[in-house]
Amino acid sequence: MANFDFKETFLNPIFKGNPISVLVLGICSSLAVTVQLKGAFVMGLSVIIVTGLSSLVCSLLRNTIPNRIRIIVQLVIVAMMVILVDQVLKAYAYSVSKTLSVYIGLIITNCIVMGRIEAYALGNKPFASLMDGLGNGVGYAMILVIVAFFRELLGSGTLFGFQVIPQAVYDFGYVNNGLMILPPMALILLGCIIWIQRSIQKDLQEK
Amino acid sequence: MNTNSNTYTVIYSIILVVVVAAVLAFAAMFLKPTQEANVKKDTIGQILTAATVEGEDILATYQEAIQAAILVDIEGNKVGELDIESCEVYGTSDLKRQIAAEQKALPVYIFKNGITVVPCYGAGLWGPIWGYVGFEGDLNTIKAVRFGHKGETPGLGAKIADEPSFAEAFVGKTVGEGEILFEVAKPANRATVNNGVDAISGATITSQALGKTLNQWFGFYQNYFSKNGATCQQECCNECKDECCTECAEEVEPAKTVEE
Repeated sequence: MANFDFKETFLNPIFKGNPISVLVLGICSSLAVTVQLKGAFVMGLSVIIVTGLSSLVCSLLRNTIPNRIRIIVQLVIVAMMVILVDQVLKAYAYSVSKTLSVYIGLIITNCIVMGRIEAYALGNKPFASLMDGLGNGVGYAMILVIVAFFRELLGSGTLFGFQVIPQAVYDFGYVNNGLMILPPMALILLGCIIWIQRSIQKDLQEK
Repeated sequence: MNTNSNTYTVIYSIILVVVVAAVLAFAAMFLKPTQEANVKKDTIGQILTAATVEGEDILATYQEAIQAAILVDIEGNKVGELDIESCEVYGTSDLKRQIAAEQKALPVYIFKNGITVVPCYGAGLWGPIWGYVGFEGDLNTIKAVRFGHKGETPGLGAKIADEPSFAEAFVGKTVGEGEILFEVAKPANRATVNNGVDAISGATITSQALGKTLNQWFGFYQNYFSKNGATCQQECCNECKDECCTECAEEVEPAKTVEE
């Protein structure tokens, strides 16, 4: 029981083993929902909840799951969590749910969730799995928020919908960068983040 | 226990599916009232946009701005009324039912600022599209529109809802006469320039679907428009000197004050 290192399990996926910038998983949704901070924030939160809870549930059931149908069982559990999150958002955060539209449903196909269950939760104790799931969710959310921060700031001049670039700057001739609104710019920003991380963590660089 | 035996696998999957289904069904039942309230609020918000009414509290704004919410049949006669107190509106499923219904009950939202809003609903490329069109007092000139969709392609068909310039293109356009009441196509392909707007490039099917939908729904309302529009007011008053006339007058007057 005690042979798991909280720091290692929870913090590793946030920095050293980040699912987006190191494992390069979940790219599709990170391109789609990072136009505005609010959307990225809620999406990140949803993924944290889904990865955490489904890892926990799968880990609790890990000794009972028949090996031959384990992927299907995982899928059913993940899908249940995603639908629950989607329903709750529809009820209590309708406008956000409208912005995120199909992407909440697509958390099911997010490789991070299934990947962590298959690689970690099926072989580890529930609490450790919960931490691993949460850690990966936080790692994903963090990258999403960083990308969304730059996209919203430079693309719309706002943060969380509030104008942060003063009108005076616009009067001076500054214009919002329309490219930031479009998905390609998210990919370029992601590339920059991966670049920065790789130059800090030399061990990630291929020879 | 042998977790790899066939019996175990089958029983396990059955139990799992039943449990998951029960959890989801419970959640859906529990959250449904809140979700429906949200959808209704959203619908009213769209109607208000088409009526060029703005306000913080959507429901209160609606109650304040609306003059009458009535149901009309295909002949343009009033067949019912929607409750304003409880903010009763026709949602997308109600609109869908009207298309095939023999006895149609088509909602008309008449606002105090003289704008009359009518809905439309039809099939887009990937799913349903719908919209609310606000008319000026003559019930022919479009004042504002608001479209929505379930799942049109983001960046292409989805522009009917989130591209402001597309909605602005409708302002001042009029509903035509005859077979083609309204078109969404490039000017060269339109019968008359003023009875339509430009299509969205890259979203041909959504544009055509929207044109078809508008055409169909304007057709539904055609009799109502011609009976209640300002141009026919004189004619209408000559014919029937009682309730129809007062209805006409009520609807026309506010529009005039706005124009002044």
